Amino acid sequence: MKEESLNVIVGKKRFARWMTLPPVLILVALVVGPLGFLLYSSFFDWTLTIPAPPKFVWFKNYVEVFKDIRFWNAFKNTVLLMILGIITQSILGLILALLLNREFKLKKVAITILALPIMITPVVIGFNWRIIYHEHFGPLNYIIRLLRLGSGASWIADPKLALISIFIVDTWQWTPFVTLILLAGLQSIPRQVYEASNVDGASSWQIFRRVTLPLLRPMFVLVVLFRTIWIFKIFDPVFILTGGGPGTATETLSLYTYINGFKLWRIGYTSTLAVFQLIIMNIVATIFVRKFMRRGSK
Amino acid sequence: MKKRYLIILIVLGLLLLTTIEAQKKLFPDVTITAFCDAGHNALPFEWYAPEFEKVGIKIKLITAPFANVYEKLKTEFVAGTGAYDVIVFFPLYLGEFAGMGYLKPLDEYAKKYNPRMDDVAKAFAKLYCYYGGKLYTLPYDGDVLSLYYRKDLFNNPEEKAKFKALYKRELRPPVTWDELIDVAKFFTRKKGEKLAGKVLTEDFYGYAFIAQRGSFAYAWWLAEFASRGGRYFDENMKPMINSPAGVTALQRIVDVMPYCPPDVLSYGYEELKDALILGRIAMCLQWPCNWKKGNDPAQSKIVGNVGITHVPGIIKDGKLVFRAPMPCGRVLAVSASSRNPEAAYYVAKVLSYDKSLADVSTPKTGLDPFRISHFNNPKAFAEFAPESEAKEYLSALRKNLTYGYPDLNLPGSAEYIDVLEIYLGKAYTKEMTPKAALDAAAAEWEKITERLGRANQIKIYKDLLQSWKEAGILE
Repeated sequence: MKEESLNVIVGKKRFARWMTLPPVLILVALVVGPLGFLLYSSFFDWTLTIPAPPKFVWFKNYVEVFKDIRFWNAFKNTVLLMILGIITQSILGLILALLLNREFKLKKVAITILALPIMITPVVIGFNWRIIYHEHFGPLNYIIRLLRLGSGASWIADPKLALISIFIVDTWQWTPFVTLILLAGLQSIPRQVYEASNVDGASSWQIFRRVTLPLLRPMFVLVVLFRTIWIFKIFDPVFILTGGGPGTATETLSLYTYINGFKLWRIGYTSTLAVFQLIIMNIVATIFVRKFMRRGSK
Repeated sequence: MKKRYLIILIVLGLLLLTTIEAQKKLFPDVTITAFCDAGHNALPFEWYAPEFEKVGIKIKLITAPFANVYEKLKTEFVAGTGAYDVIVFFPLYLGEFAGMGYLKPLDEYAKKYNPRMDDVAKAFAKLYCYYGGKLYTLPYDGDVLSLYYRKDLFNNPEEKAKFKALYKRELRPPVTWDELIDVAKFFTRKKGEKLAGKVLTEDFYGYAFIAQRGSFAYAWWLAEFASRGGRYFDENMKPMINSPAGVTALQRIVDVMPYCPPDVLSYGYEELKDALILGRIAMCLQWPCNWKKGNDPAQSKIVGNVGITHVPGIIKDGKLVFRAPMPCGRVLAVSASSRNPEAAYYVAKVLSYDKSLADVSTPKTGLDPFRISHFNNPKAFAEFAPESEAKEYLSALRKNLTYGYPDLNLPGSAEYIDVLEIYLGKAYTKEMTPKAALDAAAAEWEKITERLGRANQIKIYKDLLQSWKEAGILE
């Protein structure tokens, strides 16, 4: 009886192994294969604008990345957007989440309206904001003039303002996401914790600082992780609003990679840029996930 | 019984008619996929679709934004899926597309369906259509920059008197680049000030130009660079863009910027066109369709007041020297991977020849004259402009074309131009001085040439120079 059940178990295990084969094959075909090709092509000088075969160049492309001023400019812009975006969106998201955590009429409608920007395609958002930022016809400058705050600004043509304009669009679109995550976190905090704090005579500020914020920490880690990855990949609003300009004032890493790949057709160098980004994102994600998991286990 | 015979007779008659109709068709009901940049220039494909159906060609049109034409086409060519049969693109990429074997030579088809290349203006025929001695494209849109100005402002007696008092000379559309700055400065006014006797309700500017990357922005710098004798490279592919001619031309744009709208750095074609025809600037260099759009009451606030003349130049040995850049333009070509190349060529030929006069003479498209027959037909523009004005327009275009300056259609041109536009932008925003910006651009150009293979680039560039000389564009 015991032997039979062991056979059944072994058979089940074998069956399970066979069952995992298709997804593994799909994973190899769709992820591991292209990743391997990406790594392989990063060692070639391969340009599709001339009829020359790919030439193996060892680490030449990697050295070039370190010397590439435009890459570091794009890196700086991306990190700037990331820092500004995460800080602002977290603060605004927390304020909105605290407001929405109270009971009031039309709360559900407010949450639905708040979630709208997340549901709109980024390309559409880009075009809408292009109209909003228009120097002459844009509603933003119109309102500024109406309120007599000045004559308006060249939001996407001024190199000092262009990156900030992109940050505003990103914040408009993604603050609701942060709000919803933090709201879910707030709603998961047990009511008894607040009641106990009240009984102990804690003030509202003390409750917020000592109870709410620490219990929201896992949600904040999640927000920071998601937003870091997403802002690192930011493309659509930059492509539609400024195309990386004026000059290279708003060029981000993903846009610069796209330009090298699909405008300049430098396949080898583009692969190297992609490998660099992959390494950076892996390091960031690993740090975040480890930190998150350690806190979670505590 | 008689009824039955009658029915049989009718059926036979219908069959006969269908057979005759089918024989009239040149092609056996093929579908041709056409690619064109989106907007007004793709309209002819839609207009003539019913006519193409009559000869057995069904048109399926695919469009992409103006700034994305190159990558869309290149992606398709690299993949080689045969998704497009007939394509519209900018001749700037002819060297690369033909050199890489993406296009089908058209000489054989041209023998069967004559595209009348003898009727195409020499500059366009030479620069737009041939590569390595073979015919690869048919022209679709002829582009050359001209100076457009507000006739009502330049002819206003009050403004003329004011200008004379200030500058001790007559007010006229600027003939030299030095004059351009003065005139731009003169017409720049604040809201509330008077312009041609009317109080301005918003700020008004003297000049504007295209600065948006990927919109042929370099041509606005090229206009002065070329008139000062500038060349892209010397014969060994050493960049010449940072020569004194290049630096002076760039400094000029930086100097004229205070007299341009504050958002000029975001200007592409649409923005510049609107700035003039909606009455916000006094003058600009633009493509020929600016005149058509400016005289169309449905689009313009300055109908009847669009003046056109040659681009400004410099006085050299007592003579005026000007060179009008020929950026953009459009050509029709047949993809090498097309499954129906003959039908695709037929579509290209009909649009380039048979229907072209109607297409270049309507304000509904942005297509511009490129055939001798277009230049000789001012009456064709009667739909929206008097013959005298159309004559003035066509004559100005011809003059600019005579002293035209070509695009750099080398392999890698997209990269050369992108780098140049980035550094021009850095000078416009005062991030770099004009000299430093052009030095940096030249250094980048050297790197590109090295990477693409200097020897091969030199060979192609020399051929290019030769074709420019044959076209009468370079001495």
